[in-house]
Amino acid sequence: MAKTYDYLLKLLLIGDSGVGKTSILFRFSEDAFNISFISTIGIDFKIRTIDLDGKKVKLQIWDTAGQERFRTITTAYYRGSMGIMLVYDVTNEKSFENIKNWIRNIEENASADVEKMILGNKCDLDSKRQVSKERGEQLAIEYQIKFVETSAKDSLNVEYAFFTLARDIKAKMEKKQEASNPTPRSGAHQLRANEQQRKPTSWLSRCNLL
Amino acid sequence: MSEIENKDTVTEEIQKDFVEDGKNKLIVKCKFCGSKILEKKTAKYVTQEKELPLMQQDANRKEGEVQKEMIIEYYHVDHMYVFENIGFTHPVENHKYLICADCDAGPIGYFDLDSKHSYVALSRIVHS
Repeated sequence: MAKTYDYLLKLLLIGDSGVGKTSILFRFSEDAFNISFISTIGIDFKIRTIDLDGKKVKLQIWDTAGQERFRTITTAYYRGSMGIMLVYDVTNEKSFENIKNWIRNIEENASADVEKMILGNKCDLDSKRQVSKERGEQLAIEYQIKFVETSAKDSLNVEYAFFTLARDIKAKMEKKQEASNPTPRSGAHQLRANEQQRKPTSWLSRCNLL
Repeated sequence: MSEIENKDTVTEEIQKDFVEDGKNKLIVKCKFCGSKILEKKTAKYVTQEKELPLMQQDANRKEGEVQKEMIIEYYHVDHMYVFENIGFTHPVENHKYLICADCDAGPIGYFDLDSKHSYVALSRIVHS
């Protein structure tokens, strides 16, 4: 079979139960076809294809719903994953505090160079907010991880988050590749990567302004 | 349940419009939301008798009952990463059902856990 993609990235969604991980990945819309059959079985993972700076990137995205009640995710689950979305609920203080525990769990079980990103989900529910955006940012700075507030309900920043995480993983892979296999053209590649990163994503930040 | 390729006369019409060199001539999309499922010429047209649960189950059906229909025409996808966008359910017996990655409509086909091959029902997608 001819390879139909340039990069294949395995991503995980992790966080306390109820923070909205499943809605980030899955819609479960009110249509009859979902309620009746698919939603009773549940969804395992999704494959999505995105264009990232001219490269065809396949994302295999796994939800960890149902396993988080054990408080830890086992090594088997982390195996092969290159990126992890750490999700908390901005209306749930405890889920935010637990992000540190999830990071520890990742450090103990996942590969050392896994890319991480923190998502403060449900930012549409501003009246119920318990965790300010600043505290989210502060935590992200502390761990040197990227951060964004999202609303799965309004599809806000979700796509941006996946693109950002995927782009960071891709950049890391390219860097590794170049280090192990330097070519005279590596300068040109570098330039192109920077160029693309400057591309503005205008629709990314409604919640960020709150 | 063996695959019988290019044999059935009832399927001639479909083959003419949608199949070229035994593969999908056109892009395969979700019926409901238009999400792109397969690129052109990435899946093999096959006929086999295989039941799939209905996408819309009757609300008055007996508890625990799953309504199914027989489907003959499928696109055979030999590796999951051939898909552009697709979702997989949790396993049921030796299958995972395939659903639209964008609107979760399904099952549009199934993934066989033993062979790791996927089959998309032609009647549950649109060509574009």
